[in-house]
Amino acid sequence: MPFDPSSTDRAPQWRPQLRRRDVLRGGAFAAAGLGVAPLLAACGGDDDGGTPAGGDGAYPLARPDAPVTLPIFDDNQPIAAGQEPEKVDALRVLNYADYMAPGVKKDFQKKYGAEVQVTPYNNYDEMLTKISAPGAEFDVVFPGPSVMSRMVYGKLLQPFQQSYLTNLTNAWPEYQDPWYDQGSQYSVPYTVYTTGVGYRSDIVTDPSEGYQMLWNPDYAGKMGILDDAGEALGMAMLAWDITRDINTGDPEAINAAKEELNKLIPLGVKVDITQYETLANGKFHVHQAWSGDLVAARWYLAQGVTTEDLGYWIPEDKADVVIGNDNICIPKSSPSPVLAHAFINDLLDNTIAEKNFNWNGYQPPLTKLDADYLIEGGYISENLMSAVVVPEDFESGIKFYEQTPAVENMYLAAFQDFQSGGS
Amino acid sequence: MTTVGVDAPGAEKAWDNEGRYVPPPASIKPRKKGFVPPWRNPWRRPYVLATITWGYILWSLVPVLIAVQFSFNDSRSRSSWNGFTTAWYCCGTEEGSIAEGTSVFGAGANDTLLNALQNSLTLGVITTLIAVPIGTALALGLTRWRSRTSNAANAVSLFPLVTPELVLGSALYLVITTLYTQIGLGRNALILGHVTFSISFILVIVRGRLVSIGNEFETAAQDLGATRMQAIRTVLLPMLVPAIFASAMITFAASLDDFVVSNFLFGDASQITVPVLLYSAVKAAPSPALNALATLLLVGTMTALLLTYVVLRLRRRGESGSALDDLAGVEM
Amino acid sequence: MAVAEATKGGQKDAATRFLWPALAIPGTAWLLALFVLPFYGIMAVAFSSQLDILGQPIPAWNPLEWDFAVMRGVIDQSINGSYRSAWEHTFIYAAIAMALCVLIGYPVAYYVARLARGNRGLLLALILAPWWINYLTRMLSWVGILGDEGYANDIIGFFGFAKVDWLGGQWYVVVIALVYGYLPFFIVPLYAYLDRIDQHLIEASRDLGANTFRTFFRVTLPQSRIGLITAMVITALPMFGDYYTNTLVSNSPTTVMIGNSIEGTIQSGFSRGQGASLVLLLSAVLLFFMAYYLILTLRASREAR
Repeated sequence: MPFDPSSTDRAPQWRPQLRRRDVLRGGAFAAAGLGVAPLLAACGGDDDGGTPAGGDGAYPLARPDAPVTLPIFDDNQPIAAGQEPEKVDALRVLNYADYMAPGVKKDFQKKYGAEVQVTPYNNYDEMLTKISAPGAEFDVVFPGPSVMSRMVYGKLLQPFQQSYLTNLTNAWPEYQDPWYDQGSQYSVPYTVYTTGVGYRSDIVTDPSEGYQMLWNPDYAGKMGILDDAGEALGMAMLAWDITRDINTGDPEAINAAKEELNKLIPLGVKVDITQYETLANGKFHVHQAWSGDLVAARWYLAQGVTTEDLGYWIPEDKADVVIGNDNICIPKSSPSPVLAHAFINDLLDNTIAEKNFNWNGYQPPLTKLDADYLIEGGYISENLMSAVVVPEDFESGIKFYEQTPAVENMYLAAFQDFQSGGS
Repeated sequence: MTTVGVDAPGAEKAWDNEGRYVPPPASIKPRKKGFVPPWRNPWRRPYVLATITWGYILWSLVPVLIAVQFSFNDSRSRSSWNGFTTAWYCCGTEEGSIAEGTSVFGAGANDTLLNALQNSLTLGVITTLIAVPIGTALALGLTRWRSRTSNAANAVSLFPLVTPELVLGSALYLVITTLYTQIGLGRNALILGHVTFSISFILVIVRGRLVSIGNEFETAAQDLGATRMQAIRTVLLPMLVPAIFASAMITFAASLDDFVVSNFLFGDASQITVPVLLYSAVKAAPSPALNALATLLLVGTMTALLLTYVVLRLRRRGESGSALDDLAGVEM
Repeated sequence: MAVAEATKGGQKDAATRFLWPALAIPGTAWLLALFVLPFYGIMAVAFSSQLDILGQPIPAWNPLEWDFAVMRGVIDQSINGSYRSAWEHTFIYAAIAMALCVLIGYPVAYYVARLARGNRGLLLALILAPWWINYLTRMLSWVGILGDEGYANDIIGFFGFAKVDWLGGQWYVVVIALVYGYLPFFIVPLYAYLDRIDQHLIEASRDLGANTFRTFFRVTLPQSRIGLITAMVITALPMFGDYYTNTLVSNSPTTVMIGNSIEGTIQSGFSRGQGASLVLLLSAVLLFFMAYYLILTLRASREAR
């Protein structure tokens, strides 16, 4: 199969041929009590080193300093140019819940006649399960950079027909040719965000505690963390100085992070992604949050609460801030690819993107909608300036990278242990 | 006069030697008529049990009534009452209406809610249409078939009834995503799943009825000259109609209310049913529109129940026993 | 002809000899394909040894390829690891909930079956009603009532006590919610059995001098034993697989039940094998209960004969 040699020089590779004895040597896995999942994942191949199950061979894991051009397979070519969007009843979208403005969906429906139906998921693990399940066909999906290679090599995504995406030039130059998908063949950016701690400034006394606000017993029963293994464990690593590399494959670091999370259980921690609403209506006082949540919270405020009562904490040093983005892609099995292209093109349009941002609070990486523009537009109040993201932040911030399944399973197993009551 | 064997003072015979009635002397006063202290009266009214029962019924049904009440709440809250409005049902079109864009029906509706309701009803009807014939045929076949294989088939048919839905749902999910991939998740998978657990209900109900009917009527018909097929068609089936009807209604209601199997098999948002929607929405952003949806579903199942009761009662006209007893026995 | 054939005691005519099996075949085939085979599918996934590119286990349909590593791992974790608390919670909550169901449900069933005079029809309808109301609707109502501004806290506040965070992960709320949810499924079968107890036995016992309690414990209870156990089995089995009750009224790691673990692992990719193994373990536990119940009923029906 085609394989671009220029992408393999420095990018780490995953070869799905780890043998049982390799893993048994690394007995730390089992000793750390992380469950059998990593063992099983590593046993993906048989001892003879034959064809690994399901995998097509090695695929590169993209890094900012080792960008990857994803291949276009013979049996997965872009669709033909110049076609009209299909006339269907529904455009099926796989996305986080409450991540797209109802107005934008209604406008699209008026324009093309197709209702935008969103099937929600809580994290990428669920998203992968839903998109790979036979029978459920989706037209548009919103993955992040940390699952791109795997989805492309797993033939889950189809490459774009670039001639339909005329609005791609609106995006930040960094995102027209990102490190995880050089040439924007499979993805365009949807939003950029940082991860920090959202809090109620009228209740929280000392926001400078930062991440450790979540471990403060004063807020017991009123705090939560994100329902995402990487985000939660990564935050625990940063909060307690376990390591600065939140993509680490070191089982001891992951285990230590899990132990810290376990300390939250007696404090009544909840695990969900509804903080945009629950911080606003007072159900939670502190919650691990993405930057856009605090901007969107203004739509969910309870009686007597104003945006002044909300706060968003991120580390002062930009180099310590966890930063990321979501992409828009088209699944390979989409029944209406031309319509999907039209939808994505619309989302890259400045006016529509602004309307979307107005509702969901997450910044789209479009050049026109920069920080000043958004602040002048009154979308972001003074006390939430920390929620604004600028292109320079991406140079320095900490990002989530795609990991080998073995490492990722360690994170997922640890998080599952934590969610089952901590052990 | 003294009498043999009676010791108590004043306990004289009630008749004299000539057999005439002798009233008791005035010194003996009867106790207050009918009064026995409750703890000594075995035929007293069961106060304690009655209290427990009515208490249970209140505890069981009042929360549902409160949920129905909040579907008319004039605010986004599902727990603090603010006034009466039907905006959550229809139509949420006015600017500033709290139900804007989220009511069930009407121009300002949230399509997801109505979609879910339609999915639930369609699924219920299709499931009933498919499951009832299969289940009835299975009941007939198993009850009358006398061979060893039938006992095995018997046992297999009852297992879906006692298996927790979680096990059935996971099993179906796994097998549809790996083996029956042509079917795939979505409406077809939902139909398959619903029919599978319905067949057991129908089997139990129709078989119970068959067993209590017994062989006599068919044998009598055959004695009177009917062929076997004629006997079945003209005698047995009409007698089974109430059981078949009841099982159809129960299948419909069970399908409308099913959550676990639907949660595993629905695939994407276009096939979501009401219970699955309620579950996911409660965790995310609940509003009284959910209560409205739940109330509508409630009305649907209650209608099915009422229909069953009425039909059973009509057929039972003149016979002893209440239709409700039938229904309760049928639930078994 | 027809008369002569029909009176050949017990003999079937040729045309209908295959009638009964033919009728039973569609249903049996359906259940084989969509009930028995999926169970085999669970075993194939639980005992699979290979993963695909997304980390999901590839089912091993050939029993010779079965690999029990995941199953052993799950059993280990269940005895001493991350799944232990889920199993503990499930057993404890189910036990307490069953006890409460018996304590509340038996009196109610007894009253409605035997003692309610004129109200019986009405009571029966009211008892049956929850069976026909969606389980989620009933739980939804409680989520509304137990919320921070719900009636429960209103009443408590009225008496001057501090607000309680009912939905914040309290185990007793989960147990009571389980009781609330499954009590109707307990009462109706029990009602049907209690209905059949012969009133004359009770009257005879009274006539022979036993008071209420002795009559109950010596006569009524043994007579209703099978009904009680049937009702308990019908209620307990689904309770073991319940996960939505916990998610709706608690959703906290402190009250996780085994159903939550199964739901979470089956629907994710990498831990699907673990989920399948947990399903097998759960089925084994439930089969054990079912077997016990079957033995009891067989023994009882043999005694009754």
